[in-house]
Amino acid sequence: MSSTVPVGRTRARPGAFGFLTDTTLCIGCKACEVACKQWNQLPMDDFGFTGMSYDNTGDLGATTWRHVAFIERISDREGRRPTTLAPFQSNWLMLSDVCKHCVHAGCMEACPTGAIIRTEFDTVVIQQDICNGCGYCVPACPFGVPALSPFDGKAHKCTLCYDRLKDGLEPACAKACPTDAIQFGPVHALMDRARARVSELRAQGVEARIYGDQALGGTGGIGGLNAFFILTAPPEVYNLPAKPELPQRRVLPAFLTTALAALALGIATLFSFRRVGRMQHG
Amino acid sequence: MAELRSWRHRRAPGEPIGAATRESYYGLPVIHGPHWHWPIVFYFLLGGLAGGSAVLAAAARLLGGRSARPVVRAGRYLAFLAVLPGPLLLIVDLGRPERFHHMLRVIKLRSPMSLGVWGLIAFSLSAFLNALRQAVDDGFFGRSNRLVRGFQQLPDRALAIASTVPAFFLAGYTGVLLGATAVPLWARNALLLGPLFLCSALSSAAATLSLLLARRSQNDRAEQALAQVEFLALTGEVALLEAVHRKSGPVIGRPLRHGAEGRAFAGARATTATALALHGLALLLPRRWRQRLELPASILALAGAFLLRATMVFGGHRSADDPAATFALTRSDE
Repeated sequence: MSSTVPVGRTRARPGAFGFLTDTTLCIGCKACEVACKQWNQLPMDDFGFTGMSYDNTGDLGATTWRHVAFIERISDREGRRPTTLAPFQSNWLMLSDVCKHCVHAGCMEACPTGAIIRTEFDTVVIQQDICNGCGYCVPACPFGVPALSPFDGKAHKCTLCYDRLKDGLEPACAKACPTDAIQFGPVHALMDRARARVSELRAQGVEARIYGDQALGGTGGIGGLNAFFILTAPPEVYNLPAKPELPQRRVLPAFLTTALAALALGIATLFSFRRVGRMQHG
Repeated sequence: MAELRSWRHRRAPGEPIGAATRESYYGLPVIHGPHWHWPIVFYFLLGGLAGGSAVLAAAARLLGGRSARPVVRAGRYLAFLAVLPGPLLLIVDLGRPERFHHMLRVIKLRSPMSLGVWGLIAFSLSAFLNALRQAVDDGFFGRSNRLVRGFQQLPDRALAIASTVPAFFLAGYTGVLLGATAVPLWARNALLLGPLFLCSALSSAAATLSLLLARRSQNDRAEQALAQVEFLALTGEVALLEAVHRKSGPVIGRPLRHGAEGRAFAGARATTATALALHGLALLLPRRWRQRLELPASILALAGAFLLRATMVFGGHRSADDPAATFALTRSDE
């Protein structure tokens, strides 16, 4: 990441709440996953071994709203086994992934029922009494967060513990995190903290970056992520897209090209039928 | 319980956690794919057919005079019949079908699915009125009772003209809907899918009408007009299929090259290109030879329309499951 890129810029509203997930503090205990499951009474997942890593959760889903990824960096990007380690870093990367509660959310804009709303905390929540399981929010999310549940046919994702926030409690995952890798609070205060933390890490020689500002992660019309991350490797290593785009940015241009095509085909059709009637009279 | 979240099946089988997937999390998908299957393929196909038929019926009504009456009649009935299963296919596809009416709570201009629901309703209404007017003219309700006289007050030409806007919308919005997602194959081709689906809608509608009318006449002016529309729409379709192929590139375009979807895409390109070639040849031949070429051409055009929809829907699944494709779409520019 070049140093000229403005770090930590977000379009989050002043009153927005969110998460800062600092992966340099995560120890991969999965307490957040368990706390989330318990508080939100989520059913169990596929009870099996992935056979690829110590992570047997796999990814986010309808019944998994926090997912801790265990990334064992066996080789570097050129496929070589690294012989030196970055200071203060093992070859393990841990990331507690979660819904990003985008400033401009693709799932929310896609939802044809209005089931997905923005709450007074500026979080994105799927109203379960409205959702009819059309599934359009699922591929509309650039991060692969919402999913349809096989139990009730509706779309589910992290609510940022809307019920707990209503009662003045912090979300269950942040409450349970033993190392404060998951921090909850006003987005702008968290962003200040993240900026300070990144410069501190860089002073120690760690290649740290914020994922979820307008330079990385919250790009392309998304405007920033209310749940953002501190990463120490390129986002792709964590299975995160570097520069995702808000899918709905393509709606107007696509409708315009479609309208142009409709015009051309309409003219072609009229042109083809122009002499059919004339023959009648002549 | 093992089937609840069988994410293991989503990794490309046989693909090593090697070169292509090194910069991802053990080759697991970055995004979640759509759940759309055959109902949606058939909805896309029938929606296109309905929209295209309505457009052809309207053009035939406005310019065709008496000799185009069969096209108007068949077009209006086909538009109505083809759109009838549409809402049913969509409702069946919902996770909670009994809540289908929640679609009618809001109108969201940036959600192609929300617009599509309202467009489908508008089209269904217009197709119903057009078909009703046709049925009255055809004497389905008797000749001169009060009901028939009342329905004959329906402005025939105005109905035909008014049907074209929702017809084009219904035929094309599905392409925009696919493009407005994070699925790499669809997102990369967002500007092309709408026009492609439109061309395919018009060519398949012209092909169906040609096949329906083929037995009853000797390739008259109206049928030549249909063949010409099919030829022009197929030209656009072939060009746009080529454009999609090129724009997708080697990584995002992987589903268009490999596997069942790759074969379906190759089939779509081959059938539409052959249909176009047959139509081109027919234009050069004397009139009595034309029908022999135009019949197989129409069948091929229909097959191409079907293969195109299947490729795009199922290719989307493959594309969403490929982390390399997502990263090719979202890689930083520096």
